Amino acid sequence: MALSIIEALDTAGLTGRGGSAFPTAVKLAAAQRAGAELIINACDGEIGAAKDSYVLRRYLSHVDHGAQLTQLTRFIPVIYAVHAGTDVEKFLLAQGKKVLPVPDRYVSSEASSLVALQHGRPARPMAKRTRLVEGGRTSDGKKTRPTLVMNAETVLRIAQIEQHGPTWFRSFGTPAEPGPRLITITGAVFSPGVYETQAGPALTDILALAGYVHRSSPALNIGGLGGSFIPMDQVPDLAYSSPSLATAGAAIGPGIINVLAPGSCPVRTIAGMLTWAAGESAGQCGPCMFGVPAVARGFQQLADGTAGPGVLHDLARHISLLPGRGACHFPDGVAAFTASAVNVFSAHLEEHRNGHCTIGQPGAAA
Amino acid sequence: MSPDMKKGTEDVTKPLLTVDRVACTGHGVCATVLPEHITLDEWGYPILDGPIPESVEARLAVKYCPARALYWQYPSVSA
Repeated sequence: MALSIIEALDTAGLTGRGGSAFPTAVKLAAAQRAGAELIINACDGEIGAAKDSYVLRRYLSHVDHGAQLTQLTRFIPVIYAVHAGTDVEKFLLAQGKKVLPVPDRYVSSEASSLVALQHGRPARPMAKRTRLVEGGRTSDGKKTRPTLVMNAETVLRIAQIEQHGPTWFRSFGTPAEPGPRLITITGAVFSPGVYETQAGPALTDILALAGYVHRSSPALNIGGLGGSFIPMDQVPDLAYSSPSLATAGAAIGPGIINVLAPGSCPVRTIAGMLTWAAGESAGQCGPCMFGVPAVARGFQQLADGTAGPGVLHDLARHISLLPGRGACHFPDGVAAFTASAVNVFSAHLEEHRNGHCTIGQPGAAA
Repeated sequence: MSPDMKKGTEDVTKPLLTVDRVACTGHGVCATVLPEHITLDEWGYPILDGPIPESVEARLAVKYCPARALYWQYPSVSA
């Protein structure tokens, strides 16, 4: 007897490839019960991400097939959410696809932002009083239809699991994190780009995919602004799997590695990223609206060497005020990112505090 | 069954006080009504000390929130 698609996804152990790692079978079953419509998130919303557009460019017919397999598109065509004005938007329109053009803002590509936008509202995260798949309300109170938002790579994997079977899928990765998965590797590597890989290999082997040769890089950023930092001297001890990365305070997340440039000051790079982040809050939730700029300001003062004696203490307090206190997880991500930066670069921050930085010129933000 | 275990079982089935962070505009009424569980951060937004179960005071906090930002949510509702 053939497996239903839900059973097949459950057996395969597919989890969301947008960073949540939530079981796809559970999410899809809830969406089917609610008669939800489907939005495929291909925004590559995290800093440095490129795998969503890579998937659509190469495997659009597979992704379309995966969307049909969800059985959510029988009456309403699948909607592709991509950033407005990008090449991938033009590509999809040329292919006759239904496109949701998303403003180029960090929190605009969060799942509930896409649902709000699809309902004619600004692309801002919604408070989740109910689950999105069962229908919710936008920030100004408009009811939204039941909607399932899935990452483009997740939908590709659904089609592959149907075609090749759960056993094939589980022949990749680890028992806890099965299946092939894509990773975007950027920064100080020979060949930046999107690579097909899996959970389990040594982290150095993952970096070797992109021809990492700059041994003098101070650290890598894994997961973008919602991720953390790993000092380069710890990399040889780690595998590309959640349990191993967790020992360094990191996670696979949305599958992005940025190798920080040797010769650029990481503290200045991070300060630049945080200053940018402060302007990316949707400005809806107080703790994010005030807390993210406060964190950015504190870190900038450390980077500038203008920090007073209480700044580290204030920064730690502001970091602690962010997690779990927004409609989306943007403030949670910024808090973990900054805490990791302070921890990994503590020695270098101390140099900045004493007014001299020994690592070259300011680096460009990601 | 010890009182602690009983409390633990209740937590799973009973709704918890939750802040709608978009709706919340920092009036701070909740911190006045429920000072043992809610304090305000330096910008005036509520900090909950952990999961807050139903009580007479908590129900009052929901009722008196000028922004209607407090509500009851079952722990299973997420994602």
